[in-house]
Amino acid sequence: MESNLLRVDLTTGEIKSEIIGHEVFEKWVGGSGINNWIMWQHFLTHDINCDPRSPDNIFVFGVGPLAGSGAGSGVKGRITFKSPCYDMFGDSAGGGKFPYMVRFSGYEYIAITGKAPKPVYLHICNDEVSLHDASHLWGKDTKETHEILQRDLGDYPSKTHTLSIGQAGENQVGIAGVVSDALRIHARCGGGAVLGSKNLKAIAVQGSGGIKIKRPEGIMKWSDVFRQSLDANEAVYGFKRRGTLGAVEMYQHIGSHFWRNNQGNKFRGEGITSDNWVKRFHKYSEVCSSDCFIACDAKYKIDGTESEAAKKYVGETFRRPEYLTTGSAAGALDVRDWAEVAHWGKITNDYGIDNQDLSCSISFLMEIKQHGLISDDDVANLFGHSQSLEWGNMDDIEALVESIVYQSNPFGKLFGDGPYKGALRYSEMMGQNFMKYAMYGKGGASFTEEMRPFPTWMNNMAVASRGADHLKGLGLIEKFQRRDLSQIYFGGPEAADLEVPTYKGASTAIIENQVALLNSYGVCMFHWMLDPAGYMPESYYGEAYRSITGVEHDSEMLMRDGERICNLEKAFNSRVGMRREHDTVCERWMWEPCPEGKYPGKVAADMFEPVLDEYYQWRGWDVRSGLQTRAKLEELDLGDVADVLEADGALARG
Amino acid sequence: MITVNTEYHSHFKEITGLAGDSFELDEPLVSELAAKITEKYGAKMKALLIDPRTNDLNANGTMYVDSKGKRIFIDDTLEDGETIAFLVGIAGG
Amino acid sequence: MSALPQKELVTGETWYQPGDEIPNVTTKLFALRNQCTECNVCEVACSLVHSPDGEINPQLSRIQINHAPDKQTKASPAGLGFVADICHHCGNPPPCAEVCPTDAFYYDPLTQAAVIDQDNCIQCMECVPGCPFDVVFVAPSGELLKCDLCGGDPVCVKACSTRPELLNVGKQYNRMPVLFYEEQPEFNRLSREEPVARDEVGMMQAMLERGEISSGA
Repeated sequence: MESNLLRVDLTTGEIKSEIIGHEVFEKWVGGSGINNWIMWQHFLTHDINCDPRSPDNIFVFGVGPLAGSGAGSGVKGRITFKSPCYDMFGDSAGGGKFPYMVRFSGYEYIAITGKAPKPVYLHICNDEVSLHDASHLWGKDTKETHEILQRDLGDYPSKTHTLSIGQAGENQVGIAGVVSDALRIHARCGGGAVLGSKNLKAIAVQGSGGIKIKRPEGIMKWSDVFRQSLDANEAVYGFKRRGTLGAVEMYQHIGSHFWRNNQGNKFRGEGITSDNWVKRFHKYSEVCSSDCFIACDAKYKIDGTESEAAKKYVGETFRRPEYLTTGSAAGALDVRDWAEVAHWGKITNDYGIDNQDLSCSISFLMEIKQHGLISDDDVANLFGHSQSLEWGNMDDIEALVESIVYQSNPFGKLFGDGPYKGALRYSEMMGQNFMKYAMYGKGGASFTEEMRPFPTWMNNMAVASRGADHLKGLGLIEKFQRRDLSQIYFGGPEAADLEVPTYKGASTAIIENQVALLNSYGVCMFHWMLDPAGYMPESYYGEAYRSITGVEHDSEMLMRDGERICNLEKAFNSRVGMRREHDTVCERWMWEPCPEGKYPGKVAADMFEPVLDEYYQWRGWDVRSGLQTRAKLEELDLGDVADVLEADGALARG
Repeated sequence: MITVNTEYHSHFKEITGLAGDSFELDEPLVSELAAKITEKYGAKMKALLIDPRTNDLNANGTMYVDSKGKRIFIDDTLEDGETIAFLVGIAGG
Repeated sequence: MSALPQKELVTGETWYQPGDEIPNVTTKLFALRNQCTECNVCEVACSLVHSPDGEINPQLSRIQINHAPDKQTKASPAGLGFVADICHHCGNPPPCAEVCPTDAFYYDPLTQAAVIDQDNCIQCMECVPGCPFDVVFVAPSGELLKCDLCGGDPVCVKACSTRPELLNVGKQYNRMPVLFYEEQPEFNRLSREEPVARDEVGMMQAMLERGEISSGA
C-alpha cells in the first residue's frame, strides 16, 4: 500500500506531492490515523499553541484504504486540524461523493497550510492541481458554491465533487463546518473556520484513476458475505427507510432527548416522530454516500401540504434530517413541526455550521431569558434591537442563526465558539454566573442528547479527544443495554447494566480503539449498529483491510494500531495543556437530577469519577493527572511521542 | 397464564400496522411472547425479531424494553401485566 | 451475422460456428427506473471483477449511474432522476454488433450475451451511437465497455443496495435488488410499465400508492 499526499502552501502557492509509504500504513492504518500523523508532524515544527485561525494551523483531508472498495457501508472522508472553537485536537467525518472521488484522483491525503492573500479554491483534476481565484464564490452558501463549481468544471474527465465552506466559515465562526457536495457536513470542531482563516473557499476534485487492490478475490468474497449478512436483517430495511430518525421513538420512550436545553428529555407535541416523517415527507431514498450498501439517506421536497409550517417552505428540497439535526431543533430548541426541523437542517448545512453547538448557544440564551435572568433590554443590547426569544419559534431561531453566521451583533460575536465560551463571555460581560445553563462536555463542545442515565455515554462526552462527542467512544453497549455484547467484551453483563459503574470506562477505552480503526479504514460507522460483525473492526474488517492494502496485521496488531492512533490524539491534547480536570462535563449533567423518562433522578456525579478512573486504568495512563506514561507510549512504539511530551512537561511523572 | 402488552414503534409499527397489542402466555417467558408475535405477524416480523444466527431476539438495530426501561432477552421471564416496547435501536447521525 | 468471428473460451468450450443459429439471451439485466440511490456499489464491483490486475475504477464500469433529473436519454426518455444504465442485451444479433466493422463481437456460450473482443476492436466507436439505449461506454483509454453478464452471475445484481420488497411473488417473503434478471416476471412487468413520477420523486411512490410493492424498504 502506498498513497500520495498533496501539500498545498497557500501563503506561497506552492503545491507538491509526497509519497506516503507502506511503512506509514503499517503504523497508522490510513484515514484518520494518517491524518493525525500528518498533523502531529506539522506541529513538531510549528507552534502547537498557535491561534487555530492563524496560517500556522494545518488542515488535513484524508480518506482511508477501504473507502470506495465495496468493503463497508459507505465512504467517509475525514478532516483534521487544531480546533478553533475548543483550542484542542479537532477532526470530523463526512460522507457523500467528495471523498469517493478523492480516492480516484490519486491524492488520498491533502494537507493545507498557510494563508492565501485572497479567496481561492483548489482544483484537483487527477495529477493536475491548481489554485484559482474564488472571489466569485465568496459570500455564497455551500449549495451555490457547489453548483457553480460543478457547472464550471464540468463532467470531464469525471464528474466534479466539492468540499466547501459557507458564510459561517468565511466569517471564521468557530463552530463552522465544511460541507461535502452541499449535502453532507463535516460539522464538528470548526474546520470551516480554519479554511475561512486560510481564505480557501473550496476544494473541487475530479478523478478518473483507479484504486489498486492487493488481493481482489479476497475483497470480492468479503463483500459478498458482508452484503448477505446485512440483507438477512430486516432491521436494515427499517434503517434504509427511516435512517437515524428511527431513534426518535426510542429516545422518546426511554427519555433520552434534549428538550429545551435539557430541562426535559422528551419531545413535546405529537408532530416529531419518524412515522410522521415517513407518512408525510418521505420521498424515496435518492441520495446516498458512495459505496454504501445500506443507503439510509433520503431526499425531501416540500409541496406545502405536509404540515402547517410546510407552507413557508414550498419547493425546498434537501436531505431527510438526521437524528441529531432533529435532536437539536425539536429537542434543544423545541421546534414542533417537521418542515421547520428539516429547514433547520438545510440552513445549517447551507451556511456550513455545526447544529449541535449552534442550537445549544441559542437554547442557552432562551433558557436564561425564560428564567427571567436577563431583561428585554439586555436582549436588545445583544441584538441591537428588540428580539423575541420564544422556544420553538423558527423565525426567531433563524434570526439568531444569522447573527452567529454573519457575526452581525454582540450575540453572534459572543457565541461564535459555541455555548461554553459564549456563556463564559456573557457571564463576564453581565457580571453574573450563567454557567449552570451552558450545556457542554470536554472542550466546551455540546451534544443534544440526555446523558445522565448513561455512564458510558457520559464518559464518552468527558474524554473524547475532539471534545464532547459520542463518535469516539460510541457507548452503545450500554445505551442499548447489550448484555450479549458485554459478555463478549468483558466476560460478564456489567457493561450493559445502567446501575453499576463496572466496565463503563473500560468499554470507552476499548471502543475508542475500535472506532479509531473504522475511521482509519475510511468507512461509515452505522454498520456497527446493524450487524454483529460491525463490532469487530479489528477482525472482520481486518480481513478486508489486509486484502486491500497488503498490510498483514492480525486482529491483535490492529487493536494496537487503533490504540496508537487514540494515543496520538491524546498526546496532542496533552501538549496544549489538557489534563484530568479537562475531562469533565457541565453542571447540569453532573449535579441536576434527570427530570423524567425511564431513568429519573440520575446525575452524572453518581458514577462519574469511578468510571473516569477505570478509563485511565484501561488506557494505561496516570489516573491522577490523566497524562500518558512513557511505558504505555513505548509499548505502542511511540517513544518519540513520549520525548516530545516530556519536553513539554506533558508526560506523567514516574 | 399471564397477559403481556406490547407497544410497537417505528418499523415494528409499520409491519404490524398497530400501535400495540396484547398476548396471553402459558409460560411467563420472552421466548413464548416472541413465538406468538412472529406467528401472528409472519415472516417479515420474524426476520426483524429473531436473529437466525443465535435464535435470540435480533439485537442489531432493534431495542426491546420493559416498563422500567430494561432491555429484554429471549431467556428472560415476564410478569403479568408487563408492557414491552418494541423499538428501533439506532443512535447518532 | 454469420460473419461474426468465432473464438475459443479459455475454458476450452467451443463457440458457435458460422451459420449456427444463436439462441436468444434469456437472462437480461434491467434496473427499475428511478429507484437507484446512486450508491455506486455496482460500479465499484463491476470494475473490480473486470479488471485484470485488481483495479477499482468506476470509469471502467459497464454499468453507469447518472443523476440527471432533467436529462433525457434514450434509456430514460422521461428523465427520471437516478438511472442505472446497463446493456439490455436487446437483440440477436444486437445492433451494436451489427454495426461493428471488424466483427469484434462474440457470444458467451453460457449466457448468449454479445461480448466485445478487445483484441479485434479498433475503437472506432461505431457501436456507441449504434446502441439504441446509449449503454456502450467508452473508457478514458478508448476501450469500449459493454456488459457481459459476468458469465451468468452478474456482480452488480449481488451488489445492488436497493431492494424493494415484492409482495406479489407468492407468499414467500421476498426482496429483490433494483437490478434484476428479466426472468423475474414481476419486475419485468414493472419495468415495462410507463413509470409515473411526481417531480423527482420517482415511481417507487407511485408503486407504493398502487399497492404494487409494500412500504417495507
